Amino acid sequence: MAVCVTVIGKENSPKYISCLNPELDLQFQYKVHTSLDVVEEKLSSVGKTSGDVRELYLGLLYSTEEHKIFGYVTNTKIKFIIVVESSNTLLRDNEVRTMFRKLHTIYTDVVCNPFHIPGDPIISKNFDATVKSIMSGNA
Amino acid sequence: MAMDPFDFPPELCSRPLALIGLTGLDTLNNAVHRTIWDAFSSNRRQYRAPVQFKLLDPAHEFPPMKPKRTSYDWYIPKGILKRNWMNKHLNEMPAVVVIFYELDWDDPFWNEKSIECSSRVQSVRAALEGRSTRIAVILVQQTAPLPTGEDMLAAERAAALCTSCELNSKSLFVLPHGDHLQGYTHRLENAFYDLAQNYYHHESRNIKAHRDHLNKTTHQYLFVRHLFKIGFLNELKQDGHTALKNYTQAYNNVLELRLVDTNALEVKTVAGFINYKLCKLMFQLSLPRDAIAQFRRHTDLFKNRIGPKNLVFEHHAWMSKQFCVFGDIFDEAIRQGLPALQTQHPGFYYQQAAQHAADRKEACLELCKAVNVYPEPDPLIGMEHLEFYGQRAWRPGKLSAEPPDPDKEKLGIVALQYQEKHLVNHSMIIIGLLGSAITQFKTYHCPRMRRHLVVQMAEEYYSSRDYGKALTLLTHMLWDYRCEKWWRLITNILTLALNCAYLSASIHDYVVLSLEALGTSSQFPFDQKTRIFNNFMKVLKKTAPDPEPDVHEDEMKHARDLWITAVNAEPLEIAVDMSNITACVESKARFTQPQYKADQYVEIEVFIRSSCPHPLQFSRLSVTVNNPNYSSEFAVCESSSQEAHASGNPLLLFRCNEVRSYVCRFLPDVQDVGKEIQIGSILLHLGSDKERSAILRFNGTGAETATSDGMCPELQHFRQSPQNMPDFDNVRPLSTTEIISRDSKLKLDILHAFPALLGEWYPIRITLENEENHKITGVSANIVLQTSGDEPNIEQSTQLCEDLTAESMPVPVILSVGDLEKDSSTEKCFYLRAHRVGNRNIAVKVTYTMIIKRDSERVENSCVKEEMINVPVVKPFDITAKFFSLRFEPIAKTFAKEPFIVMPYVNCASPCPLIIEDSSVELSQQVCSVDAKLESQLQSLRLKNGETGAEAFCVSVSEPSDQPVALGIYTLKWKREGSNGLVTSSSVTMPTVRVESAPLYVEMILPAHGWVRTPMAVSYHIHNYTTRLLQLELSMEASDAFMFAGHKQLKLRILPESVHKMDYNLYPLLSGLVALPRLRLTISDEIDMPIRQPQLTELLDRSLPSHVFVMPQGKGNPVAIKVVS
Repeated sequence: MAVCVTVIGKENSPKYISCLNPELDLQFQYKVHTSLDVVEEKLSSVGKTSGDVRELYLGLLYSTEEHKIFGYVTNTKIKFIIVVESSNTLLRDNEVRTMFRKLHTIYTDVVCNPFHIPGDPIISKNFDATVKSIMSGNA
Repeated sequence: MAMDPFDFPPELCSRPLALIGLTGLDTLNNAVHRTIWDAFSSNRRQYRAPVQFKLLDPAHEFPPMKPKRTSYDWYIPKGILKRNWMNKHLNEMPAVVVIFYELDWDDPFWNEKSIECSSRVQSVRAALEGRSTRIAVILVQQTAPLPTGEDMLAAERAAALCTSCELNSKSLFVLPHGDHLQGYTHRLENAFYDLAQNYYHHESRNIKAHRDHLNKTTHQYLFVRHLFKIGFLNELKQDGHTALKNYTQAYNNVLELRLVDTNALEVKTVAGFINYKLCKLMFQLSLPRDAIAQFRRHTDLFKNRIGPKNLVFEHHAWMSKQFCVFGDIFDEAIRQGLPALQTQHPGFYYQQAAQHAADRKEACLELCKAVNVYPEPDPLIGMEHLEFYGQRAWRPGKLSAEPPDPDKEKLGIVALQYQEKHLVNHSMIIIGLLGSAITQFKTYHCPRMRRHLVVQMAEEYYSSRDYGKALTLLTHMLWDYRCEKWWRLITNILTLALNCAYLSASIHDYVVLSLEALGTSSQFPFDQKTRIFNNFMKVLKKTAPDPEPDVHEDEMKHARDLWITAVNAEPLEIAVDMSNITACVESKARFTQPQYKADQYVEIEVFIRSSCPHPLQFSRLSVTVNNPNYSSEFAVCESSSQEAHASGNPLLLFRCNEVRSYVCRFLPDVQDVGKEIQIGSILLHLGSDKERSAILRFNGTGAETATSDGMCPELQHFRQSPQNMPDFDNVRPLSTTEIISRDSKLKLDILHAFPALLGEWYPIRITLENEENHKITGVSANIVLQTSGDEPNIEQSTQLCEDLTAESMPVPVILSVGDLEKDSSTEKCFYLRAHRVGNRNIAVKVTYTMIIKRDSERVENSCVKEEMINVPVVKPFDITAKFFSLRFEPIAKTFAKEPFIVMPYVNCASPCPLIIEDSSVELSQQVCSVDAKLESQLQSLRLKNGETGAEAFCVSVSEPSDQPVALGIYTLKWKREGSNGLVTSSSVTMPTVRVESAPLYVEMILPAHGWVRTPMAVSYHIHNYTTRLLQLELSMEASDAFMFAGHKQLKLRILPESVHKMDYNLYPLLSGLVALPRLRLTISDEIDMPIRQPQLTELLDRSLPSHVFVMPQGKGNPVAIKVVS
């Protein structure tokens, strides 16, 4: 389903990046990195308008001919970015939301690990496996 | 560079304006004509009619008219759009021709001139034969016209002229060239515009009429052409909506065209034109969404219609152009006020254009590899003069369906490929487009997208072999990516940057980039790092490094040449600022304390960590320390022996991930006392001085990018660190420390007997005892009065001095003591005087210098000892004064010229006993003393706390007054008991008393006492203070205790301001305090008296004593007392 799943830290440094096709890793990293512009803009505009509970799912950040990039921001400003192929028309907004929610859950598990230092890149077999299953659409 | 076949022609891009031809104006020779022409043609502002004026000479020839086609049955079009058509209608074929002619209504030669005018009209009409161009005539007149309907001659002649010129009366205008030329031209312009609209409407209907003759099979091109023309004419007519409608239809007709290799270029060119017009109109008509949707549709439809396989680059060039031009229109629309979004702005289109330009380059590289010779004869000859847009020069006007000549076709393609390869600078096109995109992304808050594009731009510069520019861009971008720790991207950029640095033989950049590449943050594999490390070492050994992998062969040779000169080039020292890069060597430094005493050693701990995968040998480590004025450098762990230096100092050899700490100790400079010193930098020398050396300059705070990630430093404690090494991650840098003065061993005692009394010179004694180990010199005590918040003006009410005989000194007082030998002591005294009660805080700051030996060097050391004292100031006395009558009864008021008694009471408030030396009264002017001399009654009185002393003075006031009268000033001179000599004088103002006037005053002169049976003389003085005669009756009442001689009853007349004296001899009969015979006064004449009886009685009661003390007669002979006889 997804071709790239990333977790971005509070200050926009990458914490976890996984691509379906490792050869395109660099290309995806640039894409994800540039999509942070939109995330930042959305966050800053939301902060101004309302003080109430923010919707974590940011929706489609931007789309190119080949890919669509979706974003999600936790309350602690951890960003999840998922890249899907534009040709994949089966994927609805709801499915993307579900992927993000799953990702959030497993991310919470990682952070709860007492041996994980907050702010460090994520190294976890369990996390890896779940992300792989999200990408393949089996989760 | 050849013109890109896809560049949009100017006639397409310019704004269509109705063309108005002006003839009959001789602008060169006729000033009037010149001004008229200027009024029309210059100053074209926004609000003026959308027309364009063209000056035609009298013999102007219009484009020839093509023969009218009656039937399209056998007509097969040769192409879609003719190249000359748009230009013809924009610039050559006016919609209206205006004929200027100078003619006044009352011209004497009216007939002749009107004939000449009509002949001119006829000749213009002849030139426009067959066209429906509108003709208008303007009569340029000297005189201003009369209002319509009033000038009969004008109306009549105008009608005649219209008839002779065969002109509609609405096409005849008059232009008086006197005043208001602008106003006239403005109105004329609008009239022409109306005519022009009319013309274009007519023309477009003409074309529409042709359409009925067309059929779908052979005339598909014509459908497009006609619709395009109608659209264009409507644009000239400024009818955007109709134009848009027709262009849309034209576009849909283009889509229906069958696209084959031979006509692909033409169809796409025309489609691009129509799309351009569509999008531009949509933006103009405020339909930006439609414009974007149309463009998307356009690119979607055509992105796969590639055309001939050998000319794929042409397709990409076309695509690139489409995106670029759309970006331009979009940008223009934004400048006209269209709001854009972060996710929808021209930047994306420029980016896409750049992407297609890159595809074009790639395709060109692949397709044109083998093309190195331009074919003869030139198959592209005449490209510039083709009849139709988008056709091939070697087969112009051929219907697409015809099979092309394969040889010609092949040669043509080769020629195009040759041009593409040799004449097109792809990199510059890509870079230009990227530049446009970067500007846009910057505007729309997309810094990261911008960075990505800059990296792409750098890549393009790299491929165009401009390594310097590429390197500059990359190094800037590295910094940004580093901030956000995208190491994978950094590694990618580093690879390219290293290539650039190698190819341009830029040693400094090469060293910096290598250091960064060797660090942990870069994700190079180990063997790459090894290669980079070896190359780095080679550079330091003044040899050329091995070439980077995947560097082009041709470039390699050039780069080798560059390195040969570069390795020996000065300077041999390369300074590397490590604060901005995440390199393989990190360093942190800290002061061990936030403060150091001046005689303490300052310690700096330096931690260095190397994450280089190979051992790194440094040659020197030093720390620079900055203070506000200068900086000094301290070497750390300098190897002493020359031998060790040669082989490398083992203390400065770092294995991978090794952390070492060093301590640098130094004594602070005495001049730094009170200042802050800072770790300026840590300098690590890599390589030897003889060869090339790199000086790594750290700022000592470590690569503190970690904190920028919002990472709590506390969390670093959870990180594992090797047991046997300093915990680098948890070192908290402390880059500043304060040098404070050393603790003084001088003993400073301050003696004083507080509280201080108001007004006295209060002595404060300071005792200095030198308990230092050395002689101290230049000792001086600085006495400062501290101001406090509650009493801001405390300086003004306080004086300080060192010597009482001298003037008081301004604060701060400096007492210089001189030198003090070891263990000796001295004493100094200063005085304080306060003029207001309250607390005084006084700081005594003793400064001195001391020579001490430090490192076998004599260092002058200045020291400070400071002490604070608090001196409360209290009043010495409370002084009050009371008033009494002569009979010692307290009084609240007194009468003029009547004596009364003032008694000052002095109550001692000082805690220590005081001696009153003297007291005095200084009476004010209207008060005089009754006694000749006032003598103090309190002299030498000793008063303890709470005791009161009092004295009495008899005074009288000369004049009555409405205001209470001030009596004067009471001054006390006093000192503390036991103090020697310091007499203080304090003065207080005595209270005021009310003084009333009295017309009469009776004074009784009477001895202090009498003796029984011894006569005593008594006299009464009756003073008349008025200016009138007083008539009184006097009676003396009898008393049991006395017999008396004198008037018993008398009528008195007292002259104004005079005294009447009455003498009596009293003969006391009883002893003791006996009542005197009472004197009574009554007013004889009631009417005219300034005094009333009750007043008089009160006066007598007040001023006459009622009793006198009579002593019993003494034994022996009584002393004869003088008696009035």
